[in-house]
Amino acid sequence: MSATRLHLDLPRLSDAAEQLRGEVRAFVAREREAGHLPPPDKIGLGFSVETTRRIAQQGWIGLTWPREYGGQTRSALERYVMNEELLAAAVPVGAHWVADRQSGPVLLKFGSEAQKRFYLPKIAAGECYFCIGMSEPESGSDLVSLKARAEKVEGGWRINGRKIWTTNAHRVHYMIALVRTSPAGETRHSGLSQLIVDLKSPGVSISPILSMAGEHDFNEVLLEDVLVPEDALIGREGNGWNQVSAELAYERSGPERWLSSFRLISELIDVLAPEARPSTLEALGRLLSHLLALRQLSMSVASMIEDGLSPNVEASIVKDLGTKFEQEAVRVVRDVVSAEQLTRNGRADRLKRLLAHAEVYAPAFTIRGGTNEILRGIIARGIGLR
Amino acid sequence: MSEHRAFFRETVERILADTLDQNAIEACAHRRFPTALHTALAENGIPLVLVPEAAGGVGGDVGDALAVMRAAGAAAAPGPILEGIVANALLACAGAPLALGPVALTFAETVEGPFHDVPWGGQADQMMLVTPNGDGTRIAIGPVQGWTVAEGTDTADEPRDTLSGGGFASTHALDMRFADALGLAAILRAGQILGAIEWTLTRAIDYAGERAQFGRPIAKFQAVQQMLAELADHALASAGITEAAAQGMNQTLIAAARSRLGDAADAAIAIGHQVHGAIGFSREYALNHRTRRLMAWRDDFGSVPEWRRALAAGLVGCSRESFWPAVSDAGLNGKT
Repeated sequence: MSATRLHLDLPRLSDAAEQLRGEVRAFVAREREAGHLPPPDKIGLGFSVETTRRIAQQGWIGLTWPREYGGQTRSALERYVMNEELLAAAVPVGAHWVADRQSGPVLLKFGSEAQKRFYLPKIAAGECYFCIGMSEPESGSDLVSLKARAEKVEGGWRINGRKIWTTNAHRVHYMIALVRTSPAGETRHSGLSQLIVDLKSPGVSISPILSMAGEHDFNEVLLEDVLVPEDALIGREGNGWNQVSAELAYERSGPERWLSSFRLISELIDVLAPEARPSTLEALGRLLSHLLALRQLSMSVASMIEDGLSPNVEASIVKDLGTKFEQEAVRVVRDVVSAEQLTRNGRADRLKRLLAHAEVYAPAFTIRGGTNEILRGIIARGIGLR
Repeated sequence: MSEHRAFFRETVERILADTLDQNAIEACAHRRFPTALHTALAENGIPLVLVPEAAGGVGGDVGDALAVMRAAGAAAAPGPILEGIVANALLACAGAPLALGPVALTFAETVEGPFHDVPWGGQADQMMLVTPNGDGTRIAIGPVQGWTVAEGTDTADEPRDTLSGGGFASTHALDMRFADALGLAAILRAGQILGAIEWTLTRAIDYAGERAQFGRPIAKFQAVQQMLAELADHALASAGITEAAAQGMNQTLIAAARSRLGDAADAAIAIGHQVHGAIGFSREYALNHRTRRLMAWRDDFGSVPEWRRALAAGLVGCSRESFWPAVSDAGLNGKT
């Protein structure tokens, strides 16, 4: 693909990665046996502090980080394998997900020594959770137009602004807020900074926003004269945009972008008779081929990150394809359920409830974490169109 | 990646550049065999890429052969290139004499003819039939002379003939599953399809930069950017699974690659032409040589629906707990 400047390294998994896969499967089996993993009737990342603590006891949070910060110095591909196993089994990893995926890595890359020593071991221990403070009421896709601001005051920063669609703000400890610390200079992207906000600080009010699926996952977070200490600043003042961009490759290419509705497919397989219609097999085979192709891409991106590359365009492709795949999966399952009459007369009740939840949830796939139209803009730039 | 791979690809690209132009591609519509191309490929050992060195071949692996076919697909190269590579791989496996001239190749469930839609059947020197043989495979080979040829063509105007009434000079039993022999042909066709898709993407990106409307290149319009980004998605996703299948050579990965490429080929045809507008629909413009081949190749050596059914059939019957391990373990391209 050299002509289009897209790059793909085909990874092979190490013995260590495969051994870890076995360990995660054994963990999942134990969780199931202990009754911690009932077959789910919802899709999306479940939030369970207890599960997060048990995962932390395995040493699986901050897996790739240095040992001095509570990590295991394992590879990005090993982390990839662990995550696909946890997600495919619908283990509720939501509590530590953001901290493990992006807050921790951002601190590791840009944070001060004191910040790393303070936060990372707690994250790795499963005791410290983060949320993402990026979107605002008037700044969604055009994130750089955000209005939250922080002024330098004696001993720290005073923050004012409003963050929205903040997943889990009501049940995590910290937010990394992207705020304006000086007026836009030569480019709109300058003058933004990342600050860690303790969500228990005076002046922080968190109000729930119910999703159309009827759940309280996201929130509006109002920041009124919130004082944070000087060392709440991550990295360099004014360098926030570059730091956030580095974060996005982690956010976009992981298996959660194409495995969050996997449990719907596995529930369908569970009730489907082997003598299904040819048209059913064709629809499922097509779906599985897209899943396996996404998996190769996702692994390739993990392997490129491991090699020190910045596969931002490739990561955007994973998210564009992965989220469309997830919506397609819901449609295919619905059609198969209907064609095979799987939920007639009260049969397969769990599948019916899971499908109903997935249908209502599915529109979010192609919006959260960067809309697909924005992602395709990034891809278009990557292939030389802009 | 084998050390040979870049060398193979460069060699083939050089041969294609030297021997193939628009006229040579068009000539196949008049059943003219692309002799210069095939002679040059044969002189450079390309039909023997999968034959072990000990058997007089080049000793490449499936990934090397995939690189060859990817280059051939990008160039819309006509003629039985894939057929030569597969036939010689199977002959070497049987310990039989290699086929140095053009070979026609057909897979069938039984040895009874007639054999339909055989690419370049009437133009080849020899014809090879591959059939199941218990748990293994049987190949039969002999001169095309003596067969009755009913001429036909595919959507790219390359010959696809029906052969009947002939016989084979020799047959050989192979200790190889029929599915694996078919899988080899299927994955090499996948390489060709991928090459044509990648060429279409690259050409469409370049064309969008060259063509101006409303006072600016059409590449500057978001509607065009979104379409091409979508095609880039298809191309990259197909490239990954196809390379993984060539490396792993298991039925799950091959089926996944061919199914995924079916959708990517459809997208390349639709988006490649949409970006090009009217010029892409003209016979003179090179795009149709790739898109008509995508139409012809998409369902070769197992149709897209057949590969999809095969992929799903291996997995229905799993429980909700055993499904992921089954998908996951079958879908890996090997471990170091």
